[in-house]
Amino acid sequence: MKKYFIILILLFTTRAMLTGQATDPLISSCIASAGPNSKYLKDFRVQLGKASEPCELRYKTQMSLWKNTRYRFTMCNSDDSQGKLILRIKDNTNKVVLSSFDQKTGKIYPYVDFICNKSGIYQLSFDFIDGQQGSGVGIVSMVK
Amino acid sequence: MRGRFFIFLLATVIVFNSCRNTSNSSGEFIFPEADSVPVGEAQKLSAEAIADISKNISSPVEIANLLQFLEVPFSPEYLASSVDANKQNTAFDKALALGILGADLGYLNMYEKTGTSIDILSSIRKLAEGLRVGQFFDFETIKRLSLNKSNLDSLLFLSIDSYTQIDNYLRDDNRGQLSSLMIIGVWIEAQYLATQVVKRYPDQMLKDRIGEQKIILNDLILLAIPYCNRDSQYGDLCRVLQKIKEKYRDIRITYTLGEPISVEKDDGLVIEQTETSVVEMTDEQLTGVIDVTKEIRNKLIITN
Repeated sequence: MKKYFIILILLFTTRAMLTGQATDPLISSCIASAGPNSKYLKDFRVQLGKASEPCELRYKTQMSLWKNTRYRFTMCNSDDSQGKLILRIKDNTNKVVLSSFDQKTGKIYPYVDFICNKSGIYQLSFDFIDGQQGSGVGIVSMVK
Repeated sequence: MRGRFFIFLLATVIVFNSCRNTSNSSGEFIFPEADSVPVGEAQKLSAEAIADISKNISSPVEIANLLQFLEVPFSPEYLASSVDANKQNTAFDKALALGILGADLGYLNMYEKTGTSIDILSSIRKLAEGLRVGQFFDFETIKRLSLNKSNLDSLLFLSIDSYTQIDNYLRDDNRGQLSSLMIIGVWIEAQYLATQVVKRYPDQMLKDRIGEQKIILNDLILLAIPYCNRDSQYGDLCRVLQKIKEKYRDIRITYTLGEPISVEKDDGLVIEQTETSVVEMTDEQLTGVIDVTKEIRNKLIITN
């Protein structure tokens, strides 16, 4: 009887812990990986098939970014993802202000802090490296 | 000779005219040429474009974050405590109040003021259920996270995500007008918070943030325009948004150029933008924005 009671308590505790997280485990873990000094602001869930030919980054969205704010863009990939998620941000003049992928070295950064000094609406483009198939999430948070 | 001169003159005119169009975007932010986008044009905006516009509206959490950074203490005076969820009769009232209280929830969450947030959560629940979108708001979990103060990120995620899901659902359910109202409510309340705080704490960063709202004001108006002729409530709202826009008309936002500086840190990258936006706003202009925001926000919550 005592054993069943313990199992029941464990089940309830686990459920309570799970419901306290985002429903998508990838989002929860990615929010956690953004670090303790950051505060969640937004997420972009990206799921793409393999690109038929190399092209512009395919998942496009936009958001306003404000001066005097340090934003952290954290990219996370699901286990079955073929490619790694990358991000590029352009301002309203179409100028690239941030890229999580260094084309010269091929290095992919899992997070990029952006110290914004120009308020405006920015274009965010995500894709998986080399147009590969993948599933991932980009988390935007504010850093203290 | 005369023919060549004519071609040169024509080319010069074309080049200078085309340059005039681009100079505005790089040097100074101005509202689009027309005072307002024609209703017909706004109604043609695709669902995707409207969804994008709604993403541009700044989050109240960002305003609260700035206030915390400036070490402005929390004050319950700024909250829309007079909004009674039981007295919101129309869908218009409910959606607008849902937005207003959503902004207050963001402010409370950031300052971890859990006692008050439980009251606001109950009101949000009633309003959301009244609009048949209660299923997207996980009240019990948000309430529990508010009370135990253990995980601010999960609380922020669930609160923001609930509003995002409501927004998406309303648009998919052909109730885009309610989604627009909710977003407008969020913005007006966050703007009210910022403008009330700046009166007591006239910090330049906060003044700038208020002035910079000019950048998204046109987008906010675009969300409302398709519904301006729907009934008198929508018509009134469109008029007050134009009134706010009028107060912003002579506030200038200019830009200075620069190349970003990148530094690798740990596994990541830190990029500092050296381009800047500069707000030129007189004290009178700021007072105009503060006054019009207070007048409109208070009218909305009293009407509600």
